[in-house]
Amino acid sequence: MSLLDNPLDWFPTRAAGLLLGLVLFCCAFLPGAASARTGGGELSARETSFREEVLPLFKEHCLRCHGQELMMKELDLSKLSSVLKGSESGPVVAPGRPAESKLYQLIESGSMPPDLEGGLPKAEREVIKGWIETDLAGGGDEAAEARTLNQHDVIPILLRHCTTCHGLRRQGNDLDLRSRAAMMRGGKSGPALVPGKPEQSLMVEMIRSGKMPPKKRLFEVGVTPVSDSDLETLSQWIRQGAPEEEVQPDVAGSEPDPLVSDQDRRFWAFRPPRQVEPPPVEHEEQVSNPIDAWVLRRLEERGLALSAEADRLTLIRRATFDLTGLPPEPAEVRQFLEDRDPQAYHRLIDRLLESPRYGERWGRYWLDVAGYSDHEGGKVNANGPARKHAWRYRDYVIRSLNADKPYDRFLMEQIAGDELVDYEAAPVITREMVDNLIATGFLRMGPDSTGFELSFVEDRFDVIADEIEILGTGILGMTLQCARCHSHKFDPIPQRDYFRLADLLKGALDEFDWLAGTPISEVVKFEQRVLPYVPPMTNPLRLLEQEKERKSRNEALEEQVKELQQRLEAKGKALKDSVLEERLGQLAPALARDLRHLLKTLEEDRDSGQKSLAKEYEQLLTVTANELKERDAVYRREVEKLEREIAWLQYRQEPEPRIRALWDRGAPSPTYLLQRGDYLSPGRLVGPGVPSVLTDGRTPFRVEPPWPGSSKTGRRLALARWLVDRNHPLTARVMVNRIWRHHFGRGIVETLGNFGRSGARPSHPELLDWLAVEFMNRGWSMKSLHRLMMTSRTYRQSSRVGPEQERLDPENRLLSRWPLKRMDGESLRDSLLRVSGRLDETRYGPPDPVSVRADGLSTAYEGERGWRRSIYLRQLRMNTPTTLDLFDYPPMNPNCTERAQSTVAPQALHLLNDTTIRRLAAALAQRVEKEAGNSLEAQVEQLYWTVLSRPPTAEERRLSLESFRSAWKELGSRDRDRQRVLAKLAHTLYNSAAFVYID
Amino acid sequence: MKPAGNPSSRPITRRHFFGRISDGIYGVALTHLLTGDLFGVSGLADESGPPGPGRGGVYDVASRKSHFEAKAKSVILLFMNGGPSPMDLLDPKPMLDKHHGEPYFDQVAVDVPSPQQAGGLLRSPFKFARHGQSGTWVSEVMPHVARRVDDIAVIRSMHTTSPAHPAALYKFQGGRMLPGLPTLGSWVVYGLGTENRNLPAFVVLDDPQGLPINGIANWQSGFLPPIYQGTRLRSVGDPLLNLRPETEEPSALVRMGTRLRQQLDRIHRRDRPGLPELDARIASYELAARLQLEATDALDLSRESPRTLEMYGVGRKPAVVGKTHVNPGPDNYGRRCIMARRLVERGVRYVQVCVNGQIWDSHSHLEADLRSCCDRTDQPVAALLADLKERGLLESTLVVWAGEFGRHPIAQIMPKQGVAGRDHNPRGFSLWMAGGGVKAGTVYGSTDDFGYRAVENPVSIEDLHATILHLLGLHHEELFFERSGLREKITFNFEPRVVREILA
Repeated sequence: MSLLDNPLDWFPTRAAGLLLGLVLFCCAFLPGAASARTGGGELSARETSFREEVLPLFKEHCLRCHGQELMMKELDLSKLSSVLKGSESGPVVAPGRPAESKLYQLIESGSMPPDLEGGLPKAEREVIKGWIETDLAGGGDEAAEARTLNQHDVIPILLRHCTTCHGLRRQGNDLDLRSRAAMMRGGKSGPALVPGKPEQSLMVEMIRSGKMPPKKRLFEVGVTPVSDSDLETLSQWIRQGAPEEEVQPDVAGSEPDPLVSDQDRRFWAFRPPRQVEPPPVEHEEQVSNPIDAWVLRRLEERGLALSAEADRLTLIRRATFDLTGLPPEPAEVRQFLEDRDPQAYHRLIDRLLESPRYGERWGRYWLDVAGYSDHEGGKVNANGPARKHAWRYRDYVIRSLNADKPYDRFLMEQIAGDELVDYEAAPVITREMVDNLIATGFLRMGPDSTGFELSFVEDRFDVIADEIEILGTGILGMTLQCARCHSHKFDPIPQRDYFRLADLLKGALDEFDWLAGTPISEVVKFEQRVLPYVPPMTNPLRLLEQEKERKSRNEALEEQVKELQQRLEAKGKALKDSVLEERLGQLAPALARDLRHLLKTLEEDRDSGQKSLAKEYEQLLTVTANELKERDAVYRREVEKLEREIAWLQYRQEPEPRIRALWDRGAPSPTYLLQRGDYLSPGRLVGPGVPSVLTDGRTPFRVEPPWPGSSKTGRRLALARWLVDRNHPLTARVMVNRIWRHHFGRGIVETLGNFGRSGARPSHPELLDWLAVEFMNRGWSMKSLHRLMMTSRTYRQSSRVGPEQERLDPENRLLSRWPLKRMDGESLRDSLLRVSGRLDETRYGPPDPVSVRADGLSTAYEGERGWRRSIYLRQLRMNTPTTLDLFDYPPMNPNCTERAQSTVAPQALHLLNDTTIRRLAAALAQRVEKEAGNSLEAQVEQLYWTVLSRPPTAEERRLSLESFRSAWKELGSRDRDRQRVLAKLAHTLYNSAAFVYID
Repeated sequence: MKPAGNPSSRPITRRHFFGRISDGIYGVALTHLLTGDLFGVSGLADESGPPGPGRGGVYDVASRKSHFEAKAKSVILLFMNGGPSPMDLLDPKPMLDKHHGEPYFDQVAVDVPSPQQAGGLLRSPFKFARHGQSGTWVSEVMPHVARRVDDIAVIRSMHTTSPAHPAALYKFQGGRMLPGLPTLGSWVVYGLGTENRNLPAFVVLDDPQGLPINGIANWQSGFLPPIYQGTRLRSVGDPLLNLRPETEEPSALVRMGTRLRQQLDRIHRRDRPGLPELDARIASYELAARLQLEATDALDLSRESPRTLEMYGVGRKPAVVGKTHVNPGPDNYGRRCIMARRLVERGVRYVQVCVNGQIWDSHSHLEADLRSCCDRTDQPVAALLADLKERGLLESTLVVWAGEFGRHPIAQIMPKQGVAGRDHNPRGFSLWMAGGGVKAGTVYGSTDDFGYRAVENPVSIEDLHATILHLLGLHHEELFFERSGLREKITFNFEPRVVREILA
């Protein structure tokens, strides 16, 4: 932790330290003495029957795929020992029980071998059945049958149980158990390993006696006791002389990949996008750019064409919501209406793209992809503790989008920002370096409870798995997560590819060398995964001063908090006493008397009897804040107000300057494929790589350090470069499709996060490809894509559905009209605030607090200027602000590639009855009275302009005026009621379909 | 979440519903709403069984036929947060008396969350006796339930996967130790819909004293569409958040608002034919209005007879004091048990009755705390069984009494608490079920001599889920939701066994 206490410590010294670590690590893993193979001797009966009876059958029918070479599904049927080891989905034979043996089931059902008409001949099936039933069940001389083990059979065991304290970062008792040589060297108590003699090997002895791993510290370091079978494996390896074998990790080579074929690569989404000429169409007058040509082509096939163009009032509202998430101001609308320039619409789009609100709207979409949250999340508490530093990443996203950072660069920074520029050896920290590091927060957004809940190997691997899922569904549009436990059921992704990817991340995310998100537990002890935040180009001395100033500001705020807390306590005193008295009333009188006396006695004056009484009845004598609130509504309101003030003061305290980053630590542990995704069943060793189906399958995946002499592995840099390669089949398509979805209501590929075989097929494949290539040609500029899409004639269509369109394109798959859209939660909340004049547009910085009332209502803090936009609120995993929650704010599990939309009664109840929304309507009424003067007609006019960005229609005007007049009359026609009725009118507009739907 | 399996199916089916009420929404639609079958008119849902891709993909809560005939039509889950101690309530262990105080930590070490506080074997402070014709053993601390043992089936061989409350709760509710999954109640209403469209299909009666551990995650719908989420109806004050405004407005304003909104929405709708989502929204406003009336009525206990109230313990003061939690007496839980019955009577499919925090989490003061928990819940729970039976509802209502895990045979001694309790144990615990096709008067499975581990006929959480679904006429493999091309089920890819031995 000392590294983090002073930002100055963090500069060049770190690099040297890490480099040294890497050198030591490499030495430790160099192959030791030539391995001594044991074996020979008599074959057991089981081994003999295997070789003589079934191996010939396997050779003929199975080994081509399930042999030593291919090991499809991780199954090798060429040796008895590997048959018994099973496949990626676990055991394949159950000795004595053919019916329960997967191997036999598949043969029996004819599913295997796959290419044999009619399946295996009956006689041969019987041989296998008989072999499982009797020969296999007969048992055998385990020792003679046993395979010769090597270091890779025991390293996973030691990583799981020992190396946390005897490994890379810590060498307890001077012992390092990561390699044979280090075991031989041993620690203070002598060598840990005596080859050939498990009973004399200290490591075996320590485990067998139960001394190691120490039982009372298991939770602390996230280690479990060694199982009997693991101990046996370790002993056996030692018995065999602790042989070492040089095993190369499985990586992509220059030979064609045997597990993924070129046929697999022919699926549309796995081929690089190619641009073809837009098709000719009949309604050429409707083509304003190539998008229209493709859309029209499909429409014309059905005898349709594009709908009429929407009017200007509709267009400006539509475009403004699409790009900024807020309604246009009446003045903006009027100006646009009056602008007769043919380029007026294009200029409108340009102006909106320049608005800083653009990044706030589109940044939110990206935060969904990243699974952004201001809370760690957890298995125990769905929210978990606050992520104090995540907001820097949120701001980075908003700023990047506003600056139209090219998408390839945007991805490079987020995947491998730490490997782009050498920040460790830099004499001065630049803005770019800081941004690069903040960007790496992308792969830190999944739930991470390892710092405060259980943190065993599987918990840590869960964090890694979530990041792989985010990478897969968010950027690649692939459901990679399915391949964690077995080869993908639909897509050609062998389980091997999943673990190659895990190995790519391992320089930074290593389950055996872990740093935790927010370590606050007293039980679990991991260091925090953060880097110091250093303001760019700042003089080191100035840094120290800034830190001092920050601390003193915080202390001043803390003082105020204390004062308020005392007031809080004083307020509850009388109420608390009455609750206590009530409880005491239930007790036996004598006991109650003693307790009353106890309560009156100051703590330091209590005698020993009273002290033990206090201890025994501690719970009974404790009245929680919530209990008091439930009792008394007035008290509750006062207290909740004070609590919010406290929350606000606490919010204003500046967190220590840190970056929630991900960085390569230079010494990844080896990665083994895990059978059934179970960390207790490691399979073969794999190296870094990407899904084979997305490559040509013939080119090794190159990983090299990011710059000469770097301690970093460069693995994620290689991943990032591969992702943004122009020939990558998915990166551009997935992003283009996502942007399309947010403009046109649904993706060209409807399943935004799944472009695989189980996903949807594109409705306009050539258009998707054309856009993808165009995107890259335009320097991966997202704003350029918006411009392209929004200036298309397709985008400018009216949303009205004519009978022809309803009949021929009922679902609007062909885009025969613009899709009517409902505001999402953020748009709705932000717009309500905006039209009411209560939107505080302060940008960036730590998130605003959210408080949850006892009845479940969750609201954000109201500042002097109102409330901030939803993206700047604390993003919770549970108890999300009610308005957002009801309007489908998604759970980030771990991310959300596409939000659902529901229409349910609680939404209506909320918009109708929520106090804040009513207050906003009152604020709007006040605003309108001020702006429009005393005329009711003018007020109604202004109300419609403000809320709906348009004047009322004649019918709406008439109904609104009538409603106002009759209600006002009913109330007694008093002047002081006018504003109230106007507020009701505003509130009614908030609840109208015309407000929440965008044409 | 998005109905990802077959996204295009949603609009089609909505179109089916609303195609029939293309105009005059306030006439025809409202009539349908009042009779509760607006969403049932298509006939599609009713005949095709539970929704899911290939079955029409209807995402609504219309009442649907089960996969096969079954007795249970609704479920009341009495969830006992914290992990009720089996060896002190339903699973007597004489060996604990015999070996009281002897060391046993090493045998259970892997499962003890707080090893520093581990003591020796701990006998139960309570006496057990056999009850009813079935002769089922029940502890003296649950005298009311003891009188109803012939109505219930006890499973003594439950086991689960985590010794941590939240993870074990996720497992119990969602089938896996992960947050964000659909809960059992969501799956049930996804499969069967509800009989009463004016009340939520899946109701949660949470404790006015506070939410249970894991809070609203105990009734979330995860990746199932949000209409299958549990809705909290509060048993004091307004049943639903924002059911009414906090301050009432003059009726002139209320009427004006409602009328004008309807008029404006009708104009909006009229100008936009062919857009069924607009009808859905209008219907949601009408449903909101119905809910205001019906939810209030369903929870109104003033209609209950004094005898009923008394039977449930409503108004009775607490008889004992809790040490680590406050005992409000049976009144608190009794009210919600009556409400559960009233909701089931009205056709609500799934009712989950909660306690605040985790009162059954007896880490210390084992005896005092269990007495207090039972004082609070035993009488109401037994009364619920009797009441349902008297009204002929028990046959069609499955009542489940359960916690998330059990407790250790060894003592836990917390430094600040003088009196011992027991730590969490996932390897063996007890629960019971009643009604709805359950074989009454049964005891199934057993734990080892000390109650640490389920040994005979162990029942996993996925077995329990499959069994509960079976009692409702649902097959766990067939109740699925397509996501990323996979069939998601509450039983995941486990291979559960329906516990047929407890079926009538």
